[in-house]
Amino acid sequence: MVLAQILFNGILLGGLYGLMALGMALVWGVLNIVNLAHGAMIMLGGYIVFCLFQYAHVDPFAALPIAMLVMFGVGFLLQYCLLNLIVRSALLNTLLITFGLDVVITYMAQLIFTADFRAINPPYAGANFSVFGLTVPLIRLAAFLIALVLAGALWALLNLMPLGRAIRATSQNLTAARLYGVDPRSVYAITFGIGAALAGAAGGLYGMISNLTPYIGASLTAKSFVIAIIGGLNNPFNVILGGLVVGIAESLAALYLGPTYTDAISFGLLVLVLVVRPPRSLRAA
Amino acid sequence: MRTWHIVLALLVAAGLAAVPWLHNDVLIQFGINALLLATLAQSWNILGGFTGYVSFGNSVFYGLGTYGTAIAMVQYNLPFGVGLAIGALAAMLCAALVGLPILRLRGPYFAIATLGLNGAMAALISNLPLAGSNNGLVLPLTRNDALFYELAVALLVACTATVWWIASSRYGTALVAIREDEDAAGSMGVNATLYKVSALVLSSLFTAIAGGIHAYWSTFVDPASAFDTTLNVRMVIMCVFGGPGTVFGPVIGSFILSIIYELLASKISTAAVLLFGIVIVVAVIFIPKGLADWLAHARTSNWRYFLRNIRENRL
Repeated sequence: MVLAQILFNGILLGGLYGLMALGMALVWGVLNIVNLAHGAMIMLGGYIVFCLFQYAHVDPFAALPIAMLVMFGVGFLLQYCLLNLIVRSALLNTLLITFGLDVVITYMAQLIFTADFRAINPPYAGANFSVFGLTVPLIRLAAFLIALVLAGALWALLNLMPLGRAIRATSQNLTAARLYGVDPRSVYAITFGIGAALAGAAGGLYGMISNLTPYIGASLTAKSFVIAIIGGLNNPFNVILGGLVVGIAESLAALYLGPTYTDAISFGLLVLVLVVRPPRSLRAA
Repeated sequence: MRTWHIVLALLVAAGLAAVPWLHNDVLIQFGINALLLATLAQSWNILGGFTGYVSFGNSVFYGLGTYGTAIAMVQYNLPFGVGLAIGALAAMLCAALVGLPILRLRGPYFAIATLGLNGAMAALISNLPLAGSNNGLVLPLTRNDALFYELAVALLVACTATVWWIASSRYGTALVAIREDEDAAGSMGVNATLYKVSALVLSSLFTAIAGGIHAYWSTFVDPASAFDTTLNVRMVIMCVFGGPGTVFGPVIGSFILSIIYELLASKISTAAVLLFGIVIVVAVIFIPKGLADWLAHARTSNWRYFLRNIRENRL
């Protein structure tokens, strides 16, 4: 029974992990930028929801779309004004500039929000119900479902809409897409904006489940990184699946080996995946 | 590499070695940190700069050097020199064992795998009673900052000399060939695996010794500070800022960044890191090939150099 509950918790947590990695996988796949500031963007989204809840008394779930909209704007401007300047440079340089952005966002957040632990605590924070003897925490279930819905929305956007076709075309062949009338500058900016919006949603949900500090970014980036590789950059649902794998593995590791090993487990999984199934190419659509 | 470069480098090294005679404790303490960081950036340069493989696992070698020295001195009462050697051997062994499988991965996948190595090693050490588990180890106290300073100078000189040898030898040419096109290098008869693994081992040697010196100097090691990923990120930044794949770039870059950081931290404590981040962002946009490249071109093409960089890399 304990095992079933642990597995169930891992699945619910894994959904959120998948949502965290979704934006990173999208940006990586389309723009070929490994965004080291992704975790900091998740953190920023969390603080936006926290502020809306704490000072404007907006329900955190209602605040999620607002946070996503704000983060879309932030991401769009960042890509349009800054990252587009260096996007053709070597991978090392994009790693470096996003690391610089990570530092800037983290310490601006520290100046604005202070380093105190914050949690988004709506009245129903501790609510749960039981199904077949399993305890189902309401908020975690909602986070899981929202992650699935957003992954579905991203899939629909990429595969069914003209904008998605433009994004996929740009990622497959920049020059050809340009010849067909796609403006890569705005497509890149929109893609990065969508990635940031997904990070914002993940941050809001993370803030309801766990604590926010300005420094959570780095570890969340690393986790998103691992999941994006395990899930691949092709399909939003595979990314969510990657999140589930990591969530379950971490929960099992915490049960059988002790909580110190959770990080090592997710990285061990990653190395295993890399060695067993060496990726053929990096770019995907 | 002209003669006056060597003369200038030797003069700078002699000047650095003479700093303890100023009897300025703050300067010596800052110097030890800056020199060790420069050594780390320079040894990262051996693999990262010349072969283009971005390693986030160099902090593992730093940690092994740290713990090798600490365990030898605390648990077995061995002298400092033996401890350094044990740490360096452990790191080189680890580099060879780990390098063989993961250097088969290319591009960002190699970077990620090395990132994983760091987390795994930190978890291993923090569960090892011999290494003091999570509490760390306390080394015997030696108050002789001038000695540590001179050791750090010597290590940086040795590391830079090695890089200089690499840059001017057949060995280094093979490494650069791997960076430019690994398949083509292979078809020209370069045993890519051998070269990459040996570069990683060489890099781990200097990184581990720097770790050992720092451990004895700070007299305390624990898993969080020994296997610190941000330290690795700093190596990468300093090297890339200075100019990866050059001989003096990483040293100049790391000195300049150390000085900027120290000045900012003493003037405005909270915003220092923030400004540090902004410096990195601006540097990537304007001098993406590093300081060394800029200095080489500064005389011929003033401000147009920046514009050309942006034009080359923007969408």
